[in-house]
Amino acid sequence: MIQLIIGQLLNGAIVGSLYGIVALGITLTFGITGIVNFALGAFMMLGAYFTWYGYELIGLPYPIAVIVAVLLVATLGLVADLGLFRFTRNNLVNGLLVSIGLISIIEASVLLTWTSTPKDLSYVLPGSLRVGGILLPKIKLAVFAVLLLVIASTYLALTRTWIGRAAFAYAQNPEAAALMGVKTNRLQTIVTVYSTALAGLGGALYASLYSLEPTIGAYYVLKAVESAILAGIGNTIGALVGGIIIGISEGIGSVFLPTAFRDAYGMLFLVLILLFKPSGLLGSK
Amino acid sequence: MLFEARGLTKRFGGLTAVSDVSFGIDEGEIIGIFGPNGSGKTTTLSLIAGMLAPTAGDLVWQGQGIVGRRPFEIAEMGIVKTFQNPQLFPELTVLDHMRIASHLGFKRALGARRLFTLVWPWAAADIESGADAKMKDMLHLCRLTEARNEKAAALSYGAEKMLGVAMAMMCDPKLLLLDEPASGLGQEEIVNLEAVLRDLRAHGVTLCIIDHKVGFLGRLADRSIALAHGAMIAQGATRDVLASDAVVEAYLGRKHA
Amino acid sequence: MMRFVPLVALACALAAPLFIRSDSTFAIVTFGLLLASLAVSFNLIFGFTGQLSFFHAASFGVAAYITAILVSDYRWNFWLAIGPALATVAMLALVVGAICFRFKLREFYFAVVTMAFSEMIRLVVVNWNSVTNGTLGMTVTAQPTLWSPSGPVALSGARVWYYVALAVLVVTYVVCQRVLASWIGRCFAAIRLNEQLGETLGVNVFLYKLLSFVIGSVLAGLVGCFYGFYTGFIEPQYLSITQSLDIISMVLLGGVSSLFGPVIGGLVLTALPHVIDLTAELRIILYGAILIFVILVMPRGIFGLFERPHHAV
Repeated sequence: MIQLIIGQLLNGAIVGSLYGIVALGITLTFGITGIVNFALGAFMMLGAYFTWYGYELIGLPYPIAVIVAVLLVATLGLVADLGLFRFTRNNLVNGLLVSIGLISIIEASVLLTWTSTPKDLSYVLPGSLRVGGILLPKIKLAVFAVLLLVIASTYLALTRTWIGRAAFAYAQNPEAAALMGVKTNRLQTIVTVYSTALAGLGGALYASLYSLEPTIGAYYVLKAVESAILAGIGNTIGALVGGIIIGISEGIGSVFLPTAFRDAYGMLFLVLILLFKPSGLLGSK
Repeated sequence: MLFEARGLTKRFGGLTAVSDVSFGIDEGEIIGIFGPNGSGKTTTLSLIAGMLAPTAGDLVWQGQGIVGRRPFEIAEMGIVKTFQNPQLFPELTVLDHMRIASHLGFKRALGARRLFTLVWPWAAADIESGADAKMKDMLHLCRLTEARNEKAAALSYGAEKMLGVAMAMMCDPKLLLLDEPASGLGQEEIVNLEAVLRDLRAHGVTLCIIDHKVGFLGRLADRSIALAHGAMIAQGATRDVLASDAVVEAYLGRKHA
Repeated sequence: MMRFVPLVALACALAAPLFIRSDSTFAIVTFGLLLASLAVSFNLIFGFTGQLSFFHAASFGVAAYITAILVSDYRWNFWLAIGPALATVAMLALVVGAICFRFKLREFYFAVVTMAFSEMIRLVVVNWNSVTNGTLGMTVTAQPTLWSPSGPVALSGARVWYYVALAVLVVTYVVCQRVLASWIGRCFAAIRLNEQLGETLGVNVFLYKLLSFVIGSVLAGLVGCFYGFYTGFIEPQYLSITQSLDIISMVLLGGVSSLFGPVIGGLVLTALPHVIDLTAELRIILYGAILIFVILVMPRGIFGLFERPHHAV
């Protein structure tokens, strides 16, 4: 039993950090452009498929496949931003609907190209570590470490670099930041593209662990939005924490509660948070 | 006395926006509330209109306490507030806006019988024509008759603000709360606004106006209240208030220093 | 002039069966009319009151399930089953709406919370196997009957269903039209303009938002009652977010600022995949592209091209 729970804890933390990396993109994009970009889920799914294609069909080494996938997704993100999202900035409803339209297009295109048959990567990093009688698969540990590293460096970049501070200042007070010389348009594009790259990376890492299906994007982005709201939208580190909380509670929840309603618990939790503490669990107000 | 605020206080977290403010408004007068930005004017107005709940104190309207009432109930009782920046549909005309604001008239005239008009619209025909007449009157009063078929997007800022006042007037207010009606207006528009507000008073409406333009309120208001840092520093006849030492120091002094 | 468009359209629709010969054309138009009714009812909430609800598919699906279950499993009369179905939808909308509006959830937050409630209901439907048959869905074989002087007539056949669907659309349209033309429509407009302003003009914002949400949802339920019996099949997909999105696309394509726009949007989007032969995937791509195109390029929709907005009053 203990073994099962610890296993679920680890699984929950990994899945949760995948939610977290997409949630980070959601939070950043929302803070800077005022758009809740649901299409990040689709970009995550694309990242996973590109990695699968590079690794499995072309035969690239896994790390190279990941990098190529992330770059491709970021490029698509740039195209989407310049072609679509630039026109819906600060219009929440329109941005939301455009991003949803984009999901349909990407999801259906992937279905057309690679069908709905689940795809699996052959073992990227076989073997396990034995820690105190518990087997920990190496690949899961590696993925978890990379996700933590990326999220932590994003946080550092936001607080320590010029562009990060500009983004931060902009989120707090757009007008003042503009007066201080922050180039709004470029900043918004950079953040949008970076968020897509994060989602793409999440997908690329996801591919090494679980089966790929075109619907994973929609599923993960809902969880990511839940995580972002749970933490309080705009909270970067919170996005990770929120994701991990949801991941772990799902993992543990599925041990004790009927799994059929696993997603419903998350929804219920989300509704309660929004009603009683709309600034999020970690929010100040 | 038409309206009275007693010990009105509003705190936001640690910040006291309005502190122990008491004053009364008599029927038919024009009362001015002025003070520099951040002195609690707008908060006071929002408290009266029910958009914020006071931390302490009482609001009495025609002998009845109104603290805790929702804004629409307060509007129904006859206290209507305008906004500093009017919220309009760019694509709709002035008349369309007036029609949107005519809802309260229907409610007062018909009450629950409005439900009947859903199936039998002709039952409201005479009230509809009454509302049309009122719209015409109010547009005339607010100098908007010529602009009545203009789209809101085509209006000048001054006319937009006038439309805000005209929409509020469709609710038949006894007390009209005006949030900085003169802000952003040119000299000519202010003269026009003064004439409109005097006409509204002649029409039987009591006015409570907040502004930081001393000149405008000085010409218009019978009595005034001066706020600084949320506290009332003077009240009385406008001329006396403007001349009082506290006001000169807190308001004019800082402005010209 | 535009005032007469709906009447002319109705006259054409009544006469259309004289010219339509093929059953498949009837089927497409019937689907189009039913989905157009959904779009019209959705626009009451979205276009006229300014609330982006993702609950519409849930209202539609719940009503479809309840009528089908009452008729198939409990042998109720179809027309009687509509009552409990709509009452349930009204109750659900009342609860969800009251929660959202009491806590002043707006825009994105309203969208997310209604989406969450909608998903919860869908999960109940998916997992309540004994009643709903889970993901497999249920076939509806019973046929509602209509009273006529010469004995009951079964609602079957392309032509009969065409008129039934038209009747559903007319009922939906007229209810929305009556509501919007009355004082209620003015309150909705005030809310859409600015909630705070509406409140200071004496509009009970909570009550009227709730009213809009409940009326719109119940009308969606009405469509659901018929839809299941027309297709003969009900599945949890009816309650999905995708279904809500299809409705939103129809409304946006037709035009948010009028009552008649969504009718056009519903008919066009339903007919499109049949006019040009498309696979399911291409159809989804087309829907997505239309959604984006309409928002970015013609925000007032097809009907908006012809008409000055009059939707506020």
